[in-house]
Amino acid sequence: MRHTRTARFLITKLGGMIAVLLLVSLATYLIFYMIPADPARFECGKICSPGTLRQVRAFMGLNEPVWRQYLSFLGAIFAGRTYGSGPSAIVCPAPCLGYSFQQHETVMSLIGQTLPVTASIAVGAAVLWLAAGVAAGVVSALRRGRALDRGVMTVAIVGVSAPAYLVGLLAILLFGFKLNILPDSGYVPLLQNPAQWAFHLILPWCTLAFISAAIYARLTRSQMLDALGEDYVRTARAKGLRERRVIGRHALRNVMIPVVTLFGLDVGTLLGGAVITEKVFSMYGLGALLIGAVQSTDLSTISGVTLLAAVFVVVANFIVDVVYKLLDPRVTA
Amino acid sequence: MMKHKALLGTSAAVALSVALAACGGANSTSATASSGPAQKGGTLTILDSETTITGLDPALSWSLATTSSGLLFRRLTTWKVGPTGTPKVVPDLATSDGTPSDGGRVWTYHLKSGIYFSNGQPITSYDFKYGIERTYASALSGGLNYQKPLIADTASYTGPFSGKQLSSIQTPDKSTIIFHLNKPYGDWPWVVSTTSMAPVPAGNAPAATFGKQPVTSGPYAVQSYSPGNSLVLVRNKHWSAASDPNRTAGPSKIVFQLNQDPTVEAQTLISDGPSAQDAFGADFVPPAQLAQVENNPSAKSRLVTSPASPLEYLAVNVQSPKLKNLKAREALDYAVNRQAVVLASGGTLAAQPATTLITPGIAGRVPYDLYPAGSTGNPAKARSLLAQAGVHNLTLTLATMNDPISTAISQAVQEAYKKAGINVVIKSLDQNAFTALVTGNSASGYDLALSSWQPDFPSAMDNIEPLFASSMIGNGNYNISRLADSHVDALINQAEGTISQTAANALWAQADKAIVGAAAVVPLIYNKNSFLRGSSVQNFYIGTFPAYPIYTAVSLRK
Repeated sequence: MRHTRTARFLITKLGGMIAVLLLVSLATYLIFYMIPADPARFECGKICSPGTLRQVRAFMGLNEPVWRQYLSFLGAIFAGRTYGSGPSAIVCPAPCLGYSFQQHETVMSLIGQTLPVTASIAVGAAVLWLAAGVAAGVVSALRRGRALDRGVMTVAIVGVSAPAYLVGLLAILLFGFKLNILPDSGYVPLLQNPAQWAFHLILPWCTLAFISAAIYARLTRSQMLDALGEDYVRTARAKGLRERRVIGRHALRNVMIPVVTLFGLDVGTLLGGAVITEKVFSMYGLGALLIGAVQSTDLSTISGVTLLAAVFVVVANFIVDVVYKLLDPRVTA
Repeated sequence: MMKHKALLGTSAAVALSVALAACGGANSTSATASSGPAQKGGTLTILDSETTITGLDPALSWSLATTSSGLLFRRLTTWKVGPTGTPKVVPDLATSDGTPSDGGRVWTYHLKSGIYFSNGQPITSYDFKYGIERTYASALSGGLNYQKPLIADTASYTGPFSGKQLSSIQTPDKSTIIFHLNKPYGDWPWVVSTTSMAPVPAGNAPAATFGKQPVTSGPYAVQSYSPGNSLVLVRNKHWSAASDPNRTAGPSKIVFQLNQDPTVEAQTLISDGPSAQDAFGADFVPPAQLAQVENNPSAKSRLVTSPASPLEYLAVNVQSPKLKNLKAREALDYAVNRQAVVLASGGTLAAQPATTLITPGIAGRVPYDLYPAGSTGNPAKARSLLAQAGVHNLTLTLATMNDPISTAISQAVQEAYKKAGINVVIKSLDQNAFTALVTGNSASGYDLALSSWQPDFPSAMDNIEPLFASSMIGNGNYNISRLADSHVDALINQAEGTISQTAANALWAQADKAIVGAAAVVPLIYNKNSFLRGSSVQNFYIGTFPAYPIYTAVSLRK
């Protein structure tokens, strides 16, 4: 019976995920076609004759009706796709998310180059902000009304209010230019040099963590204050449990339910591209790739990256649901 | 070159004027800095906001001959550009600028001896022919295509990959190449200086992969390329300095650091730390940092500002029903307040007023002002012309890009026209939407368009023909005034077919006046571009054209 319920839970969630992804990809396509711009024009070069424009449009597959282009996009994910014919044809093997005529690469290849950068930023920053945010929130709640609480919450307000671009630039000015102790830009692949990888990521991690930890600190504090007033905490204390156990085992477990929800969504979103942070620290991640694609009307890249970003959010949501179920057994499908 | 950076493979446009605001009235400009004999050695870093470089395949490059692509790809001719003087076309891999025959329909070139690709293979005429034929393939259409409408018998040609060759490009031997054009063309020596005319190894330059690890002919070869991170160039061991007097090839290594934030890039160069001393910025210095430079003597001494050159103009859509009347269009020329436009674009450090289409620094420019109205315009004269034209309550739609400088200039134009009784509605669009609107096939949707232009090579032709020939209306081309004037077309055809540059320049000057006389355009300003270098960078200068540093001359002080 329990296995059946779990299977139903998983099937429902997976079905929902696929439906969401199809909707996102369709919406991306339709929105793109409402934009008054012609991608073939950009590939026709300067001094473009009507004949060349027609040739280029056919080569890119843009002479087909929109619905057929969309189906070709979906089909290529499973079967691959060839643009043009003969010796100059461009082959995009499955799983093909399209071919970027602006960058002359398959979108999968572009994602392969940029995803490790974004993942490096996102995972490191997420660990930092979760640890710092939850710790600050708990400490603040336990010292409610005291100087420490007021200090932590003041810093949290600054963090919540500060734009990432400004915090990043200030961090570069201080640690990069004035103190000259941290690199101000660039990315070193993890496998190439792990120490330099971490060294170059310190400022982006701290920038993102400073901004996001503030939200977690405030959320954790308010949740913890609520939890500390609950009957089960009073009961735990009345039973003579140590304060550390009461807080860590009983109160914090309930506090973490909304925190986990928020964390899952934040990490999923961030994996889709830490746009501002990537730009300020000159790191070529998914965010930078997507922004460039939007600016140059690169439909294939926009569609591919959007779909991938949606996958991250949807999967993060799914993981949150599963974790939710573990944290709170009352949760059902 | 419509609003794009002179960077290897930059097809995306960046508003020329975006980075040129603020600092009005400053007078620290210099087009040259820290000159001296080109020293050899060192690693030059070029900080660049571009994330990717598509121009590693010459067929796809929009780069100028003297910037990035000049480091990698030689052509039949190139440009001789010094800190002063008018740029000249000079032989590069050919022995001369070209020998015309049949009244300019046929051009013959002979190659120098001792010229090699970076893989050690000799460069032959067959490599030139193959390189040019590649540009006709759909997959490689995205570059500068000045040659395409000119080379004869190319109507159904789709590139050399299926084994077909162009009979209009003849290679009687490995060091001779003969071009047959479909009309006499005096500027052909300039056309063969564009990157798309560079040689590639014949039969061994696949469309899909050549640009990932190109075989080069210039003083540098590609060591590595990581999109979004870096492009590393090292010396091409097979390049012969004796055959190439136009490139100094000073640095041993050149590293393009890509995906830079322009603000951080400028701050890095202002601070001139150890890692920045051997670097220069490929991006215009942002307005806030320009102001900062003014108060920093060290940085100020390392700021290089171009002479006024790229044209910012108001295209008047002559096909708009509201602007059919010549006097009504002339009113637009009299009413404009160029002083306000200069201020909106960043002051005198960023621009100077313009009244001609052929820009300063281009041979053949004859200064004139057909609509003398003082620096702030003459709204009374404009009102009078509108009354003579019988035009009342004129409301015009001005299409503009939505970057801050274009918006500020549009507002300055709006304000000036208001004084003449002309109501201007600003239609602010992102770059793609703007380009689609003004270069599309429909003439509706705008009456005026704010745009800018810098030629792809320093010929008066490129100031005039792409913007005002009737063949350049729609289909993504740049005659956004939509002027179809038989007199102008005749002058353009006559000038293009004139081999003598002096005679051709006189005709281009006539065309310039004829177009402005037709009130199809309001020249607004000539823009200036500012760049920063590190303290060890030498021979970092900007000539009269283009408004970018001459990458092929830069060296490092030891």
